[in-house]
Amino acid sequence: MSRVYGDPIDVWTVEGRPVRFVWRGRLYTVRRVLEHWVTTRDWWREQHPEAETATEREFWRVEAAPGDEVGVYELRYDAATGTWMLSRAWD
Amino acid sequence: MDPFIHLRAASSYSLRYGVARPDALAAQAAEFGMDALALTDRDGLYGAVKHLIACRKYDVRPIVGVDLGLTGDGGGRVAALAAGGPGWASLCRLVTAAHLSGPRTAHPAVAPELIAEHAAGLAVLLGPGSDVGQAVAARRPDIAAARLAAWREQAGEVVIEIVNHQGRGDAHLAARLLALARRAGVPAVLTNAVRYLDPGDQPVTHVLDAARKLVPLHRRHLEDLTGQAYFKSGKEMVQVAEAVCGPDRDAVAELFRQTRRLAERCVLDPETDVGLWRPHLPDGAGDAMTAHSILTARCADGLARRGYDRDARAGERLGHELGIIERRGLAAYFLVVADVAALIRSYGIRCAIRGSGAGCLVNYLLGIGDLDPLEHGLLMERFLSDSREGLPDIDLDVESARRLEAYRAIFDRYGEGRVACVSMLETYRARSAIRDVGAAVGLPPAEIDAIAKAFPHVRARQLGAALRDLPELRGSGLAHSRLAGLFRIAERLDGLPRHVALHPCGLLLSDPTLRDRTPVERSLLGFPMSQYDKDDVEEMGLLKLDVIGVRMQSAMAHAVAEIARVGEGRLDLEAIPADDEPTYEMIRSSRTLGCFQIESPGQRELVAKMGPRTMGDLVIDISLFRPGPVNSDMVTPFLDSRHGRRAVEYPHPELAGALAESNGVVVFHEQVLRIIDTMTGCGLSTAEWQRRRLADPDTKEDVAAWFRDEARRAGYDAAAVDRVWDVLSAFGAFGFCKAHAAAFARPTYQSAWLKRHHTAAFFAGVLTHDPGMYPKRAILDDARHFGIPILPLDVNRSAATWRVEPPGIRVALAEVKGISEAEVARIVAGRPYVSLGDFWQRARVSRPVAERLALVGAFDALPGVPASASRRDLMCQVGALDRAGGRLATGQLPLGTDDADPAALWYDYEVPAGELPRMTLPEIIETELEVLGMDVSAHVLSCYEDLLAELGAVRARDLPRCPARSRVLVAGVKVATQTPAVRSGQRIIFATVDDATGLVDATFFESVQDRCAATVFGSSLLVIEGTVRRAGGHAVSLNATACWDLPRLRAAWLAGGAGGMRAAMAAPPDGRRTGPRGTPIIYANGYRLSPYADITPAGAAVAKPPSGLTA
Repeated sequence: MSRVYGDPIDVWTVEGRPVRFVWRGRLYTVRRVLEHWVTTRDWWREQHPEAETATEREFWRVEAAPGDEVGVYELRYDAATGTWMLSRAWD
Repeated sequence: MDPFIHLRAASSYSLRYGVARPDALAAQAAEFGMDALALTDRDGLYGAVKHLIACRKYDVRPIVGVDLGLTGDGGGRVAALAAGGPGWASLCRLVTAAHLSGPRTAHPAVAPELIAEHAAGLAVLLGPGSDVGQAVAARRPDIAAARLAAWREQAGEVVIEIVNHQGRGDAHLAARLLALARRAGVPAVLTNAVRYLDPGDQPVTHVLDAARKLVPLHRRHLEDLTGQAYFKSGKEMVQVAEAVCGPDRDAVAELFRQTRRLAERCVLDPETDVGLWRPHLPDGAGDAMTAHSILTARCADGLARRGYDRDARAGERLGHELGIIERRGLAAYFLVVADVAALIRSYGIRCAIRGSGAGCLVNYLLGIGDLDPLEHGLLMERFLSDSREGLPDIDLDVESARRLEAYRAIFDRYGEGRVACVSMLETYRARSAIRDVGAAVGLPPAEIDAIAKAFPHVRARQLGAALRDLPELRGSGLAHSRLAGLFRIAERLDGLPRHVALHPCGLLLSDPTLRDRTPVERSLLGFPMSQYDKDDVEEMGLLKLDVIGVRMQSAMAHAVAEIARVGEGRLDLEAIPADDEPTYEMIRSSRTLGCFQIESPGQRELVAKMGPRTMGDLVIDISLFRPGPVNSDMVTPFLDSRHGRRAVEYPHPELAGALAESNGVVVFHEQVLRIIDTMTGCGLSTAEWQRRRLADPDTKEDVAAWFRDEARRAGYDAAAVDRVWDVLSAFGAFGFCKAHAAAFARPTYQSAWLKRHHTAAFFAGVLTHDPGMYPKRAILDDARHFGIPILPLDVNRSAATWRVEPPGIRVALAEVKGISEAEVARIVAGRPYVSLGDFWQRARVSRPVAERLALVGAFDALPGVPASASRRDLMCQVGALDRAGGRLATGQLPLGTDDADPAALWYDYEVPAGELPRMTLPEIIETELEVLGMDVSAHVLSCYEDLLAELGAVRARDLPRCPARSRVLVAGVKVATQTPAVRSGQRIIFATVDDATGLVDATFFESVQDRCAATVFGSSLLVIEGTVRRAGGHAVSLNATACWDLPRLRAAWLAGGAGGMRAAMAAPPDGRRTGPRGTPIIYANGYRLSPYADITPAGAAVAKPPSGLTA
């Protein structure tokens, strides 16, 4: 079962790919990227629709482990704010 | 060099799908160092020729394919790329078959079998959107494998297309598709299925997806949610491949290798494979030698027929022209055009030559045109010369109402395999962009309509600028509303093709291989139509003939038919004398509404000043009335010399021969040719080449250097050479083709002659075919000024068209709002009617139409209608008849018609005659405007006589007696607004109003537009204040200082008396008092042009009748 979170996290990346992240005080090492996808925002639903830039959200579903217990985690990167979030976890 | 080649790119010619222009795609490929590029537009090859040309420009090797929807179980889409010449022919035939095999649609779907039929030389790409890809996505590898096997069996060369746009699941799907390809032993290629150039263009695809599918913007309708379908570099494509192949470096390299291998196979040579830039003439006359000897013989016959067989000058000219035609190998072309012109005339359709082709003696001798080039001093070289590249254009003007009949005749004669219409792509402009964006974001239709109409007909990218620049929009507050963001996205649709339409006149004539070279679809009217536009056709070396529908030709044909019908004889317009003084006298009085070319306010002013006395004068008049001559002020010196106010001067005495006809002023291209030839001795062919270079700022300096050298070498002194060059430099680019003007002068004179001598028939023709710029009600009022009685609509007398009933004209049934052609035909067929009941039974028109007929008096004269019945009674009667139940079936004799008393039927109904009050004159006029769009019984302004007296308004007929610069008020119905190009670079609004005594032209300069623009464009009944300006001759106009809406002033007057009205006039209008802004366009010769010049202004069309009389 996956659990849904929305916790801000700190992420280290190499060439845009996440390699390590800190969630709830623990350091996780990314072992494998399972899937990576992107999506753009629904600019037309905004109060002042500005279709100037296609701001993206990037999703990384990764296998990561804080030690030996491997879990699957979904990390979300918001390009507009430059922030990362842990959105889901299967651990 | 970039190792990657894009095999899939959709340009903006994928209608309402792609975003990037072919030129931009090729430029980007070149910038990345990609040595080849494929264009695979959806549904057609609309952009193919543009792609070939762009690729040549950027030195990129072109590949062309198409992206088609599939019918059948799997659905989806596939792409097919052409390999070599056979592949190109297959591609053209496949696209044609896709469009012609089913019902007409912009987005056809084909069965895989159809692709298989055209598989020779094609490579089929099966990507994630194909039936195979969809089966893989649905986790049905068995079905996927079966479909792939079927494709391989049918279609020959098949490859799997790997795409990863980084949507959720995309990479996994691509990996499974790649695995399928490996298992089946099918090569896999990598593409990015490009839809736009930069990631920032993605929102435009959202609007296009919504507009194409006619749905609101929502994620579930959008085809691109990741913004990755942009033109990626090879390096980015490596990352894309890695995401699919994982850590397997060899797999990535293999994808790239296969992609390049397919690209190399499919690169096209534009000349040998596609046949670009090679002429493809019709094959009718056999080989070139045979064709030329036939042409020579037919021209010799023509010399005799035109009376030139003993004329040495004509013989010499003919020899010269035939020499050029032979060297260019174009004899077959002339024979075909002559055949077409004769074919059109054999149907009794009026047909005239227009354009530079009128200057060619061969065209005259073959009977393509009836204008004698020797008589008017016209030159062949302006039309065709050794120095002119490409195929010449011969344009034929035919009656607009019978243009399609002419098309059908041509298709019948030559067959659909050899003939096709030319298409054109309608692109997004401001109004259409607002409509599609507005619909996509879900604005209510009424709101969208109001916003769109608030804009003039500018380009979409000028939306923001127009909001800032134009006073009528600044006051609207639109720029600051929450719609501002929508305008910005609407701007980005600028120039994107929106839909394909039939070009108004172009026809392709070729041999039976036409459909190997051009993809054909069906136009709305069912004509086979090439997907190429007129530029593509020229690049493809296809012979294009313009058959132009001209409403004036229809109007004149109708007039001639009416003259014959009322027994005034059979008139041959081609044979009327060209020196009829009463005709020229009418033209000089500027009473030229409805006449071809000389009816606009500016032209009426020009003919009044110039005073034409001969056909030659009309040719000059038409040539002078162009933005170029008007802006370079060629008109004033010409008029001064003509009227003896200035001595005629020639830049050099030897140029008198070339310039005498226009008093020393350069008016015609032909004169530029003669000047260059005289001064340099270079011959007319070279002179024509230099003339064209003269018009181009990039080559003008080269021409200057060449001209000075050659003229000095010919012995002219430096001062003379400078003088002549100054003249050429200033006016050379602006001159007008005399042959074109002369071809136009004929119908101009013919229409004026008809107006002068067969006035009623002329108005019947003009009102039926509506050829000009004025609304019909203005033409109708002009007819009243010419003493022609306007006879009301009458179901027993009116025909489908306007008819002459000497001395008057009878309103046409077709003018009734909402009436169908079938209803008109039934009314005419069933005449005479004895009563309303009889009409109702037999004409079987809809109730609203019958009610409208009643209200405009079409039943008043029926024998069975008592004099006491009002039009309102009659309308109620229609309702009663409708309620009384079903009509008799066709063929059944109606009850009562054999009754001795025709009035008997009247009394069958429940509404007694005279029950309802008669309509007042204002009510009648209001109803006529509503139903017929014109005021038939009396002029609209007759309802405002009292108010005009109160205002002290001056009538048009009295205006010439007002002193110059005096301040006056005028009132009238708006008949025209124009914002033409003028010398100062301002946007000037010219408005013309009609006040029942004539027309008043008013000029609104920028300084007053903030106060006036919204009213001028928005109101149809205007009161204008201004100062009188005398333009010379008979011409008088107003410099407007203020204007008001007439019905609003009347309302103020009725509510508050004279004081209330004056207060309303004094009230300041909304907005700040500044004129329009915007950076003027500055031309090479220094003349400035407002960016809003020559653009159809805001508001609904002026043809909309005024209303609000009885409100």
